[in-house]
Amino acid sequence: MNAGLDRRGFLRGTLAAGGALAFDITIPLRAGEPAAALDVHHWVVIHPDDRVTVRIPQSEIGQGATTALMQLIAEELDLDLALTDWAFYEPQTNVSQGNVYVHTSTLASWGVKMLFEPMRLAGAQIRALLLGSAAAQLDTQADGLVIDAHRVRDPRTGNGIGFGALAERAAAAPLPDAASVRLKSPQEWRYIGRALDRNDVPAKVTGEARYGIDVQLPGMKYAAVRQAPVFGGRLRGFDAAAVRDLPGVRAVVRIDAGPSGYTVPPTLWDVIDWQMDDAVAVVADSWWQAERAIEALPIEWDDGPHARVDSAGIARDLAAALDAPGELVRSEGDAAAALADAAQVIEAEYHYPFLEHAPMEPMNCTAFVDGRRVEAWAPTQYGDEALRIAAYAAGVALKDARFHLTLAGGGFGRRLHNDYVSQAVQIARQLPGVPVKLIVSREESIRRSYYPPPLAARLRAGLDGDGALTAWQAHVVQGTAVEQPYGFTRLAYPVPHVEMRYGQIDTPPGFAWMRGVGHTQMAWMNHGFLSEIAHARGVDTLAFQLALLDETRIDAARADRADALARVRRYRRLLEAVAARAGARPEGIGRGRGHAVYDMSYVPGYRNSCIAIALDVTLDGRGGLRVDDVTASVDCGTVINPQLVEQQIQGGILFGLSNALYGTITLREGRVEQSNFHDYRLLRLAEAPAIAVHVMPSDAPPTGVGEGAVPVVIGALVDAIHAAGGPRIRALPVMDHELGLRADA
Amino acid sequence: MIRLTVNGQAVELDCDPDKPLLWALREDVALTGTKYGCGIAQCRACTVHVDGKAMPSCQLPVARVAGKAITTIEGLGKTALHPVQQAWIRANVPQCGYCQPGMIMATAALLARNPAPSDADIDAAIGNLCRCGTYPRVRAAIHAAAALVEPPA
Repeated sequence: MNAGLDRRGFLRGTLAAGGALAFDITIPLRAGEPAAALDVHHWVVIHPDDRVTVRIPQSEIGQGATTALMQLIAEELDLDLALTDWAFYEPQTNVSQGNVYVHTSTLASWGVKMLFEPMRLAGAQIRALLLGSAAAQLDTQADGLVIDAHRVRDPRTGNGIGFGALAERAAAAPLPDAASVRLKSPQEWRYIGRALDRNDVPAKVTGEARYGIDVQLPGMKYAAVRQAPVFGGRLRGFDAAAVRDLPGVRAVVRIDAGPSGYTVPPTLWDVIDWQMDDAVAVVADSWWQAERAIEALPIEWDDGPHARVDSAGIARDLAAALDAPGELVRSEGDAAAALADAAQVIEAEYHYPFLEHAPMEPMNCTAFVDGRRVEAWAPTQYGDEALRIAAYAAGVALKDARFHLTLAGGGFGRRLHNDYVSQAVQIARQLPGVPVKLIVSREESIRRSYYPPPLAARLRAGLDGDGALTAWQAHVVQGTAVEQPYGFTRLAYPVPHVEMRYGQIDTPPGFAWMRGVGHTQMAWMNHGFLSEIAHARGVDTLAFQLALLDETRIDAARADRADALARVRRYRRLLEAVAARAGARPEGIGRGRGHAVYDMSYVPGYRNSCIAIALDVTLDGRGGLRVDDVTASVDCGTVINPQLVEQQIQGGILFGLSNALYGTITLREGRVEQSNFHDYRLLRLAEAPAIAVHVMPSDAPPTGVGEGAVPVVIGALVDAIHAAGGPRIRALPVMDHELGLRADA
Repeated sequence: MIRLTVNGQAVELDCDPDKPLLWALREDVALTGTKYGCGIAQCRACTVHVDGKAMPSCQLPVARVAGKAITTIEGLGKTALHPVQQAWIRANVPQCGYCQPGMIMATAALLARNPAPSDADIDAAIGNLCRCGTYPRVRAAIHAAAALVEPPA
């Protein structure tokens, strides 16, 4: 793992243990190992005893990147997994050497999708170098040499040389041209496609796994923080004298408002300028002391312009925006005319609240600033950006910053923001030479997060005399966001007349993506509305969806006809598959099954996984709801590790259910009202349904599985609640509704 | 000075008697396997055994555990992996893994008093929060661990 130590580092003699990497190290070594391990073209480190450490160019937030990505490189390099371990990539290497790791941001479920080719190619290229190195030393041709237990062997003579003895020449030679190496065909794969055990599990069950919160440095102090309680508020002052004499307190420092991400180019989204507000921190010998002291610290805030903002006002603003015309963002045919001519018009309004990611490990970062250099450790989803933020906050040149990824206790999008890195570095900068571990309390983590914004939608559908869907009109408005919700303007079900309008209102909390992103906000609404239309027509929702997925309904003149056709076929195939897998529908009063299908395609032509879900609920008639069983059918292209796919689909389903049933962040007097798990409720084990995951065989390139189940499961849930005789859920969370049985049920 | 036993070792703590056991373990004993998740005994990531009983440690002042025997995740399988840890590895339970030390400690305590828990017993005993969605595997691994602890006759 990434437990390494270099005695040559600038923290010479002060670092004792604990997963720390020192400043001038270029490769992570195992503790106690001589510095003869060699970095071979960034991707692997070859040790003198032939063992190999694979660099993982993604964050590990629970999705199994360290296992899946290792499988890719191990495949082409014929690694022996008993002789292989892993370490995170070094952001400094990636940033200073032109993005050699190709794709390091951990979001959008795209780690495997983006690295499937690059990591196999790197494995094949390094294989060629090792074979070339062996051929030179054995005085033979590289052709015909084989790799066996980290030795390159000549089967003709039986002679072989270990990786350790081949590494120096391989590291010195340039990588061969991509076109000159051949990747294995799927028939030759020995690791890809196999349900290998996760390589991070043993450490995670013994307590040895080191997360950011576990980083230990000699002489380290602990910091607790309070950011302006109102979004956009400023710090007027604080009375440090009031807490200076409390036990263990070492310093009270201010933290300035500023960028927390995507400010320093290059970035994928250089339009995004995430900000954090002024804050105050107390540094103490113990985090418990620091947290107690900051709780007692008198702080005067200027609450700024958002001091009166509350959820009721935001709801009024959303309603007013829905009554405004909005911006026309998609138009086909003449939806207004089709609605005017329709035999039946169905209309509904849907609402989605602010949410918070609530990963189990609170935000934290350990930082050390000395002179012109900064070194920091944190769980983050974007190490390159954390490095840039650390350098910026320390006021040093980028080349004088080091940032080390740690295991992350969940992420879900929250850790794309590196506000806590900036905070920790700003604190450490004011205590030169002292390592500081900032832990953001759970309360502060929930109250001062970044949040997917609330969203409201007015949906109208027109049906002709035969009950066919002829018009779909959607007006969507949401709080401050960097873009429209993904998937908003796309409607997989072919409808001849479509009109979509969009608007935004200002909401003070910073915008965040969260597992499932805008797809979640839109897809469940669309499914809920389809369920309403089916019910109004008196037909079964599943049958209605299948009937709508009709290739002949796709306009021949559509520019994206091929895309639309493929989508309709895929949705149909998966819906039929999941319906068959789920078997007989639940019977009895208060029981029902819902169905939904979706693919999280981000932009036209972006191929992503398609997932269909059947979900059974029981309503007890007294307001109680139980999700009994969930069945998922998944098309995610080539499967790297079926076990990881199953985990991610299960995880996405439970994440979606937890949010849909309980999740809501509300504002009052500019402040977030929730603060911890007693009032920001998460799903518990006793409430978790049985989940069956069925993965369709496919030889298409791999696509993401981290998020795709989230939008689908909520669509299936609201359909199931209605099918069970419960109310029509048009606003989340479900817990805000009376769940009694309808009179017509 | 507060004396207690942690994973079989005598420990003397020179800290505020109000300091929660969680932070004493993490900061004073340098055992970081026990996790902070909420500080209000809601998520139970900080579950340890106090004289064999599973308890959240985040609101438990060290003064209250003076003289008691504490077992943390690091001490659960001191010489060999505990059956619960073995079952967890076989079932590949963890995703991010942050809540798992608490899950495992809660499960070990459950099996110690109820070697063959039903699903309802598991529902009642395992209130630990997991955000990644490991619950189905947790449940399966608890049943598997029960079989390891007490093979069916």
